Amino acid sequence: MSHSKLASIFNKDEKRVDWHDKALWFVRHKRDLSVHNVQGWEELRNLGHGIKAHMLSNLDNYLIQFEENAKKNGVEVHWAANAEEHNKIVLQILKDNNAKKIVKSKSMLTEECHLNPALEADGIEVIDTDLGERIVQLAKETPSHIVLPAIHKNRHEVDELFQEHLGTKPCDGDPQYLTGEARKHLRTKFIQADAALTGVNFAVAETGGFVVCTNEGNADMGAHLAPVHIACMGVEKIIPKQEHLGLFLRLLARSATGQPITTYSSHFKKPRKGAKMHIVIVDNGRSEQLSRPDFRASLHCIRCGACMNTCPIYRRSGGHSYDATIPGPIGSILSPGKDLKKHSTLPFASTLCGSCSDVCPVKIDIHTQLYKWRQIITKETPQPFVKKQAMKAMGSIFAHPNRFETVGKIARWSLRNLPQAMINSKPNAWGKARDLPLGPEKSFDQWFKDRENEKKS
Amino acid sequence: MGSRNQILNRIKANKPELLDLPNINTSLFDEGLDLLKEFTKKVEVVGGNVVTLNSNDEIIQQIENTFTDAKVKFSNLPNTASFNTIELATLQNPHDLEDLDILILESNLGVAENGSVWVSDSEIPVRVLPFITKHLILVISAKDIVPYMHQAYEKLTNKDAGFGVFIAGPSKTADIEQSLVIGAHGALSLTVFLKD
Ligand code: SF4
Repeated sequence: MSHSKLASIFNKDEKRVDWHDKALWFVRHKRDLSVHNVQGWEELRNLGHGIKAHMLSNLDNYLIQFEENAKKNGVEVHWAANAEEHNKIVLQILKDNNAKKIVKSKSMLTEECHLNPALEADGIEVIDTDLGERIVQLAKETPSHIVLPAIHKNRHEVDELFQEHLGTKPCDGDPQYLTGEARKHLRTKFIQADAALTGVNFAVAETGGFVVCTNEGNADMGAHLAPVHIACMGVEKIIPKQEHLGLFLRLLARSATGQPITTYSSHFKKPRKGAKMHIVIVDNGRSEQLSRPDFRASLHCIRCGACMNTCPIYRRSGGHSYDATIPGPIGSILSPGKDLKKHSTLPFASTLCGSCSDVCPVKIDIHTQLYKWRQIITKETPQPFVKKQAMKAMGSIFAHPNRFETVGKIARWSLRNLPQAMINSKPNAWGKARDLPLGPEKSFDQWFKDRENEKKS
Repeated sequence: MGSRNQILNRIKANKPELLDLPNINTSLFDEGLDLLKEFTKKVEVVGGNVVTLNSNDEIIQQIENTFTDAKVKFSNLPNTASFNTIELATLQNPHDLEDLDILILESNLGVAENGSVWVSDSEIPVRVLPFITKHLILVISAKDIVPYMHQAYEKLTNKDAGFGVFIAGPSKTADIEQSLVIGAHGALSLTVFLKD
């Protein structure tokens, strides 16, 4: 389904849209307050961009270096060309270790690979342990945001979900009570788990170690209790040196939620005594995106979610309307690279206002890339007849000043004189869900000429 | 092996020409922070407490007075054997720490810009300790606080930790309608003792 159709489903509940919009804007605002306090913030962003660009230009060598060091540290390294292979590798590790119950901390990569259903099909119990992820897991939904997975749900819905699945008491959506109950429920899962699975925020070529950032501590509770830790990472998570973490950790949490750093920034390097550690390095379309000069920079993304929080379209259409693992502006660049046809409407889900590029901590030119995808999509995928004809007509109007003037006259007259019902009728897409302003008396051209004449006289 | 080489070859073929690695000039970020003030402010903003006390005895005393019903306790401060109720040397399974009420850890690296404190394998004999405990107490000397993350990593270079973590505050979540709740999976409270 197209983005606009899915968005209109979300838009049916006006109150929810309002609330969603405000909640995300609040996070964006916290981000602003936080970054304006950092001396040299723009320079940090430039460096973030520069280090990521350098990393991509030498990625194969950094991956080799990372693998070598990780192995020296006693970690087993696996490579997966695509989602299917990733799931197979994880399943094999679990089987080799006789693991039936696993705890996961948030990882968009495993979402992208649809790992949960793949493991569940083999009789493995998979528990998402980030509270937001657990909520959407119980609701049998997908995350609607990469940092705030359950941002589309209100507290009463969570209350009902918990009553149904965890046997909690009705509490009028008290977040403190609900979180406490989730804590108890998830503790038992941590204690019983045979294996823990985490994502990777940054992997350091120089040391073979990797960093996982959480506020809840769920990645750590899993990884330090279970006898097996599997970490899954996309190839682009590599950074050259450990000192670069200083820069990226400064950028990440401030951009994500306005915190100066996440509560836990955990640096994993060697397995603990008696336990095993595996790393799965995944391509799944990333090397292909690397081949597209116009879209390569999308691989800089450190998944902070800032572009989503600021996007006027995302805030009003909800993450699920993107029908993709990574929603919002950055997702709208990544998804068409994977399946142009399925995601052909996403680059149009933007006002091209550029706010996403403004907040991006690694300076991805998001709105320019969206515009570039539009050009490719218009050429390569069939466009609706009406849109094509409308574009042709617009082209001819803009090319002929006389026609433009005539159409302008008609439009101004219509907006002043026609009844509302006619203006907001079906053929006028602009009149959908909004009232149009009263047309001005004269055209801009006429207004300007008159003004110049007045000045002279 | 198949996928490994296939991925590496594809990346090699698709990557752009080599770009330089930028140099980080950390002096650009320096705003002459008052380290202790900034550190204290940041710890408090994220829901932790900062207390200035100088001797380990006083710290232990204060903890015992504050958490009167704590039963299971562990500290890595020197000479605190009487405080500890668990023997880590004989601990078989990290799961046995499930009931830990109080953990006191001494650290030698804190960061002013974000109030985080570094602990690693050398301070935590069992990795799950600072996460599984109900209350976490960190002890740090003022001289070990650096201004920014850049300086923190300078100090960590060549320190070979199998595991290490920057901790900033108690565990928290805002996943239910964006209301901040302290104590998701990890510690329910954090107190930092600052020694001059
Ligand atoms: S594109 Fe930039 S702003 Fe958006 S999630 Fe990625 S790093 Fe954050």
